[in-house]
Amino acid sequence: MTTKPETPVLAIENYSLDYDTASGVFHALKNIDLSVHRGEILGLVGESGSGKTSLAWSIMRYLPKNAREPGGRILLSGENLLEKTDAQIEAFRGRRISMVFQDPSTSLNPTLSLGTQLAEVLVRHRGLTRKQAWKEGEAMLDRVGLKTPAAMMNRMPHEASGGEKQRVVIASAFACNPECIIFDEPTTALDVITSCQILDLFVELQAETGVASLYISHDLALVSRTASRVAVIRRGDIVEQGAVRDIFANPQQDYTRELIAAVPDPARRLVGDIVVDTDKPLVRVENVSVHYGRKPFLAALTGRATERVAGNNAISLSINPGEVLGIVGESGSGKSTLAKAMTGLNRFEGKIWFDGREIRNLGDMDNAYRKDVQIIFQHPDASLNPRQKISEILSRPLKLFGDASHLDQKVGDMLEQVRLPRTHAQRYPHQLSGGEKQRVAIARAFASKPKLVICDEITSALDVSVQASIVQLLLELQKASGTAYLFITHDLNLIRQIAHRIAVMYRGNLVEIAPAADIDSQDRAEYTRRLIEAVPRAAGQYL
Amino acid sequence: MADFIKRLLRTPQGAIGVLLVLLVLVIVLFGPMLAPHDPETLAPLTRYKGPSAAYWLGTDQYGRDIFSRLLIGARATVVMAVLATIAGTLLGAFVGTTSAFLGGRADELIMRTIDAVMSIPSLLFALLVVNLLGSSTVNALIAVAIAFAPGMARITRSVALSVRKQDYVNAAVARGESSAYIILREMLPNVIAPIIVEMTIRISFAVMLFATLSFLGLGAQPPAAEWGLMVSEARRYMHLSAGILIWPSVAIAVVAVGFNLLGDGLRDALNPRT
Amino acid sequence: MSPNYIAKRLVMIVYTLFIVSLIVFAITQILPADAAVMMLGENATQDALAALRENMGLNAPVWQQYAIWLGHVLQGDLGTSLRTGQPVGPVMFEALGRSLLLAFLSIGLMLVLAIPLGIIAAVRRGKIADMVVSLISYAGVALPEFVTATVAVLVFADLMKWLPPTGYVPLTENFAGGIAHLVLPVCVISVILIAHVSRMVRSELVDVLHTDYIRAARLKGISRGQVLRRHALRNALLPTITIVALDVGYLLGGVIVVEEIFAIPGIGRQLIVAIQARDLPAIQAGVLIMAATYSIVNFIADILYAWLDKRIQYG
Repeated sequence: MTTKPETPVLAIENYSLDYDTASGVFHALKNIDLSVHRGEILGLVGESGSGKTSLAWSIMRYLPKNAREPGGRILLSGENLLEKTDAQIEAFRGRRISMVFQDPSTSLNPTLSLGTQLAEVLVRHRGLTRKQAWKEGEAMLDRVGLKTPAAMMNRMPHEASGGEKQRVVIASAFACNPECIIFDEPTTALDVITSCQILDLFVELQAETGVASLYISHDLALVSRTASRVAVIRRGDIVEQGAVRDIFANPQQDYTRELIAAVPDPARRLVGDIVVDTDKPLVRVENVSVHYGRKPFLAALTGRATERVAGNNAISLSINPGEVLGIVGESGSGKSTLAKAMTGLNRFEGKIWFDGREIRNLGDMDNAYRKDVQIIFQHPDASLNPRQKISEILSRPLKLFGDASHLDQKVGDMLEQVRLPRTHAQRYPHQLSGGEKQRVAIARAFASKPKLVICDEITSALDVSVQASIVQLLLELQKASGTAYLFITHDLNLIRQIAHRIAVMYRGNLVEIAPAADIDSQDRAEYTRRLIEAVPRAAGQYL
Repeated sequence: MADFIKRLLRTPQGAIGVLLVLLVLVIVLFGPMLAPHDPETLAPLTRYKGPSAAYWLGTDQYGRDIFSRLLIGARATVVMAVLATIAGTLLGAFVGTTSAFLGGRADELIMRTIDAVMSIPSLLFALLVVNLLGSSTVNALIAVAIAFAPGMARITRSVALSVRKQDYVNAAVARGESSAYIILREMLPNVIAPIIVEMTIRISFAVMLFATLSFLGLGAQPPAAEWGLMVSEARRYMHLSAGILIWPSVAIAVVAVGFNLLGDGLRDALNPRT
Repeated sequence: MSPNYIAKRLVMIVYTLFIVSLIVFAITQILPADAAVMMLGENATQDALAALRENMGLNAPVWQQYAIWLGHVLQGDLGTSLRTGQPVGPVMFEALGRSLLLAFLSIGLMLVLAIPLGIIAAVRRGKIADMVVSLISYAGVALPEFVTATVAVLVFADLMKWLPPTGYVPLTENFAGGIAHLVLPVCVISVILIAHVSRMVRSELVDVLHTDYIRAARLKGISRGQVLRRHALRNALLPTITIVALDVGYLLGGVIVVEEIFAIPGIGRQLIVAIQARDLPAIQAGVLIMAATYSIVNFIADILYAWLDKRIQYG
C-alpha cells in the first residue's frame, strides 16, 4: 500500500446485481464501489448471504442465468468487463484475472492428475506445448513450496493432502502472472496449521508479484492479518471500508462494531476460574479407544492380522462438576469420535466412570446415564428432524426422562429459556434461522436437566455474530444450572475464552491437558505450541 | 399442501403428468359408465370398422367397440398395476429399512440376497410365479409385486442409510429412544418422499409388465378387455385394420408416460433445493 | 483395485448363483406338475410311475433332491429335458449364444445412440434439443417391447416389405440374410435401453457440469468444449458402465419377449417353451444360465469401473 498508481487494477463502480427468483427479484448487490490497486490486498468481509461470493462471480463474469445487472461497471485495468464478449472473457480468465477457491478437494477434478490441471492453464494462455507446460508446472509447484514437484505433478488429487492441493490451486492462479486474483475463503476448508502456512505463502507470493488481490472471508481477524484495507459487506451493501487500522480503531458503523466485538479474544475470559476439585470428578474417561471399520474380506478369510483404523487411542481424561473442558484439534484428530463414544454412538474399549458408576459398554448406558449426558451437534440443520415440529422435537426428552404432564407449558418455557418466542413451538425447523435452530437444539439438550452437555463444534456452522450470542447463552445456562460442558472446537481463541481446562488432540491421541490460562506457555508440548502459533491473533491486537 | 401442488404444476413434467394421471383416474373410476357400447357383444357385421360417430375408435375383429373396451379395460390394466406396485413397494420398503437399520453383517447378507434375486429378470420371475400359481389376474399381481420388491428394497435401503447417518437420528439414539420410535417417527417420514417418487415411476413399468404377461398369455384371459391382451389378440388381424393394434398401444403408452412424468415432477417438487 | 476386491466380488457371484439355485429349485418344487407323469404320459400305470419316481429320486426328501441336483449342476450336468429327453445343457448354451448375439448388437446400437443423445441433452439443457431427446426417451420408456415389435413388424415387414418379419438365419450360413433378420429385433430391444441410458447420461452430465471443479476449470479460461471433453465427459460416463450392466437384467427380460415375437431360437424362447410345457430341468437350467450371465456381466462392469476410476480404494 505504499504507492497508488493512477488507475486501479480492479475497479467496481456503482455495481448492482439482481437475481430473478420464484418469489420476486432478489437484490444480491446494491451499488457496490470498490477498487483494488496494484500490490494491494483488499479484504472483503461478510457473513453468509452477504453477497461476497456473488461479487466474485460478477467479477469473473460467471453468473447464473437468472442474474440481472441493472447498472454499474466492473473495470479491469480500465476495461469494462461487462462489455466484453464471451470469447474475450474466456481469454481474460486465468490469464489476466484468476481465482483461488474455498475447498481444494472440490475445485480440482478428481480424475485428472494435479499436473494436468496445472499445465492446461499454461497451454491455454501462454501457448506452451504440453511438454513445456509440464516442465514449467514443476517449477511453479516448487515456487509454491511443494517439496517434490515432479512427483506431485503426477499425483491424483486424492493422493495429496488438503494443503498440497490448495498450493496447486494457488500455483495455477499465479501461473500466468495475472493482474488480479480473487481469493474466496482460501483457508476455510483447511486445518489451523495448514491454513496458517497457506496464508504465509499467499502473503509471500503477493509481495513478490505485486498482484492486486481481493481477499474474501467471513473471518475479520484473518483478513486483518493480511489485508491493508478492508471492506465490510452486509446484505449486498458495502457498510464500511477503509484501512485495517482505522476500521478496528474507529469503526463507524454499528454492524462493524458488532463484528469486531464478536471475534473471540482469548484475553477476554468469559468464565470465572473456579477452583477445580479433582478428587471427585463428574466423569472419568479411562483408556477409551475407538476403532473403525471391519477386517478386509481377504484378511478375514485368511486370518491375516490387519491394522484397524483407530479413531481414539486410549484416551484418559476427567471432567469436574460444573467445569468447562475444551477439546481442540484438527479435523480427524478424534474429538468427535470421543464425543460419540461417550454418548453411546460409537462402540468403545475402556471404561467411563460417571458420577461414581462404571460404564463399560453401550449396554451400561441406561436411561439415567442418557438423561445426565446430553450432546449438541455441529449442524442444527442435520440434528433437528425436518419433518417434526419444534414442539414435538422438544417434548421427546420430556417424555423420555421426566414427567410428560403440561407439555405445551414446558415446551414454551424451554423456548423462553433459550430466548426464543413461545410461538416457535408450532414451526418446523426450516422456518427458523441457523442460530434459532441451534437454540432449539440447546433447549432439547437441557430439557432433561443434564449434568454434562457435550457440545460438538456447535458454533462452527454459524456466523460470527450468531456464534457470540450462542456462546453467551451457553454460559448463562451453565451459570444457572451448574452443568459441566465438554466443549469440542477447532477455534482456539474461542475455547481460551470459555474453558477452564483445554485438552489438545492429534490423530486420535490426547496430546495434553492444560489449564486454559497456561495453554500458551512455553512449557507446552510441541504440537500445542505450533497450534497456538498458527492461530490468527484476535482482532483487538491489531490496534 | 397447496404450496406443494403449485410446485408440482410449475414444471412441465409435473403439469402434464398430473393431467394424464387425472385422465386415467377418471377413466378408471367412470369408464364403465361412459362406455357407449357393451365391450363383449359380438357383431360380425361391423368388424374392422374405421372410426365413426357410432364407434369413435372403430371396431375390432369381432365387431366390438374399441373405445368402450379401452374404457372398461382401464380397471384391469391400471388398477392391477397400481396395486401390485404398492404391494411390492411396501414389501421392499420394509426389507430395505430393516436392513439399513440393522447394519453390519445382517445388512450385507440381506442385500447380497436381494442382489441375487435381482439377477433373475423381473419378467422371467413373473413368468415363473404366474406359471406356478396358474394364469390369472390376481396371480399376475402377486408375481409383479414380488418381482418389484427387491428393487424397491435396494432404493429404500440407500435412502434409509443416508437418513440413518443424519444427526437427528444420532440424537435420538443418544437419547436412548427405542428402535421402533427411531424407525417409525424419525426415519420413515424422511424416507417416504423419495420412495413415493420411485413408486410412481414404477407404476408405469408395472403397467407394461402386466400387459406383457397378458400378451404372453399368462395374465388376463380372453374375452377380458385388458389392454395388453387386446394388443396380443390384434396381432393376427393387424393387416386388416391397424386401429385394433394402435389404440390399445396408445392407451398403454399414455398411462406409462403419465406416471413417468408425474414421478419426475414429484421428484422436482419434493426436492427442497429447487 | 485390490485382489481383495476381486475376491469379494467372485464370492458374491457364487453366493448369487447359490441363492438363485435355491429359488429356482423351490419354485419348480411347488409347481403342480409331476415329472413322472410328464415323462410317461397320462395313461401310464401306477406301477410304472412309482418305479420311475423311485428311479428319478423323486421320493427322497426335498433337500436331498436339491443336493443331488446341485451336485449334478456343479459337475456340468444340467439335467435331461422332460419334453425332449435330450440333455438340457447343450441346447440351452446353444440358444444362449444366439441370445447373446442379439444382446450385444442391441447394447452396441444403444451405446452408439444413447451416449451422444444424453450429451446433447445435457449440454443444451432446457433448449429444443433437450426437449426432443427427453420426448424420445419418454416415448421409449412408455412402450413395452411387444408393442414396438408388433408395430415394427407391421410397418417395416408387412407394409414396406423392407425386412423379413420373423425367423432366424445363422450368420455363418447366410451373413446378409442373418443380419436382415436381426435388424428389427435389435432395434426393438434397443429402444427402451436408449431411452433409459440417454436419460442417465444426461442427468450424470448435468450433475458433473454443476460441480466446483468444472466451474474452476471454466474460470481458468478453458473453453466450454474443452472443459466438456477433458473434465466432464469422463467423470459423467463412468457411472454409465454400472447403469448399462444393471440394464442387462432388463435386456434379458426384453430378449424373452422379442425372441418370442420374432421366432428367434434363443434362450428366452427356450424358457417360454419350457415354462409352458412345465419342463422342470429346462426351466431350472435356463433361469440359472440367465442369472449367471447377469452376474458375470455385472462383475465385469464392476472390475472395469474400479480399474478406470482410480479414486476409490476398494476394500
